[in-house]
Amino acid sequence: MKEINELILPEDVRYADDHEWARPANGVVRIGISDYAQDQLGDIVFVELPEVGDNYDKGQEFGTIESVKVVSEMYMPISGEIMAVNEKLEETPELINEDPYNEGWIVEVKPGDTSELDALMTKETYLSMLEGEA
Amino acid sequence: MNQEVKTTPLHAWHRDHGANMAIFGGYEMPLWYPTGARREHCTVLTHAGLFDTSHMACILIEGPAAYELLQHCFSKDLDACIGAKKTPLEDGRCAYGIFLNEEGETIDDAIVYRLHREQYMVIVNAGMGGTIAGHLAAHRGNRESTVTDLTDRIGKIDIQGPLAGTILKKVIQRPETVFDRMPYFSFKGHFDARSPLAEAVRLNDGTPLLLSRTGYTGEFGFEIFLDPAHLVALWETIMDRGETAGLVACGLAARDSLRAGAVLPLSHQDIGPWPFLNNPWPFALPYAPDRTGFTKAFIGAEALLHIADPEYTHAYAGFDLRKVSTHDTAVVVDSDGVEIGTVLTCATDMGIDRVDDRIFSITSPDKPDSFKPRGLCCGFIKVRKELPNGTVVQLRDNKRSVKVMITDDIRPDRTARRALKDMVDDG
Repeated sequence: MKEINELILPEDVRYADDHEWARPANGVVRIGISDYAQDQLGDIVFVELPEVGDNYDKGQEFGTIESVKVVSEMYMPISGEIMAVNEKLEETPELINEDPYNEGWIVEVKPGDTSELDALMTKETYLSMLEGEA
Repeated sequence: MNQEVKTTPLHAWHRDHGANMAIFGGYEMPLWYPTGARREHCTVLTHAGLFDTSHMACILIEGPAAYELLQHCFSKDLDACIGAKKTPLEDGRCAYGIFLNEEGETIDDAIVYRLHREQYMVIVNAGMGGTIAGHLAAHRGNRESTVTDLTDRIGKIDIQGPLAGTILKKVIQRPETVFDRMPYFSFKGHFDARSPLAEAVRLNDGTPLLLSRTGYTGEFGFEIFLDPAHLVALWETIMDRGETAGLVACGLAARDSLRAGAVLPLSHQDIGPWPFLNNPWPFALPYAPDRTGFTKAFIGAEALLHIADPEYTHAYAGFDLRKVSTHDTAVVVDSDGVEIGTVLTCATDMGIDRVDDRIFSITSPDKPDSFKPRGLCCGFIKVRKELPNGTVVQLRDNKRSVKVMITDDIRPDRTARRALKDMVDDG
């Protein structure tokens, strides 16, 4: 298990309570799960992805992620329409373990309300939440 | 009951090596190391893995009537348990069986080791040392014997996988002599330096071991018992000497997925407070050849012979790697949509996959070219009706439904029973 100070927590994403991250770029927002989440889950063996074109509210379940330990739901950190899913995860779900913020991204959404992004946690806030849980 | 979390002597090693820890059987144990459970699982199939199993409990039964006490309490007939010919348990041999209550329900499963005619070692699950020692003492009657709970006084590590013998050979004295005539379910040596048996197996530094050709992975390997004071040193020595052979430390997640694929039960999950009957482990009961009765009387036998409508425990394998969660009850649904029972274990054996109608393992000699398994979910269900092999049922939790097939075997080409001479390099 990674110590808190070993976690990779980039500054250019925002974090949700359920350990998803969101990164805006070029009018869309990429979503994935944090280094803390992948470390807790262990080896990820299967990801159930939504369909492109599906619409989700903030906080709604959009897929499941299955590790050797457990099957977990993933929740939308913001509302929006699914514009793309990371199809590489079908064959290589371990990308989420190896590179959770880049190669291991999960979905791309067109945000319904960009102000929802601002309500998510910064690295500092997320880190103090994790320290509170530890 | 003392709820304080216990640790093994290797606890600091696990933490220092980045293990993801969890409580199991009252002990904080490693679930996996940074290697990851998938690689740990597959490395045991192809090379070897090292497991800290010091959370398991050890009981010594000694005295002129120790054997009679075990015959009375243990489900295996020790007069008829070795090999196809069912010969009696001898010195240096061990046997798997169950401690049942009067109702024929499982208290715990165990391996009984015969050290000599008047001394037996009984290995039970984590936290069960006191319970089983108490059970034995309560049924001692006039059988002259002593029962000693050695919980936390014996260190135990398991080295499992096809290269286990090759690695172990580097750390023990006179390995050729030790490995000579050492079939599955036999052992040599003793963990107690004062025993004359301790001469038989020693580490290069002289530490005595009890070395047993048993395990909980379905693969070739050994369980090693020793004085806990020497446990960390032995672990580090084996890790060091095993490195070139690809040895990795393995956690409980890999142990669970390996044993599920090997059709081995987890006590208190696959066997428990219900009659030990109609399950994949009938070899733990002393059935007479005609199967209508038992070859000996023992606690629970009468009840088992008179259960009115017993449930059936079956092994199954899925069609892909998706699991159902057994944290809340997961149910079994038959082809008519009727709920017929519950899921006991659902794990993913990550070294196997289906190709057409057959399950192959990464170690199958005849696996198809470019075989790359993603894993299959597998485990055990307990249902109200008997299901023939090949029956397809659905497992359902609160999130998903997964299709699985009843089978009597899961991971093919396991190595546990291979002859030792075929598994150890001569070099």
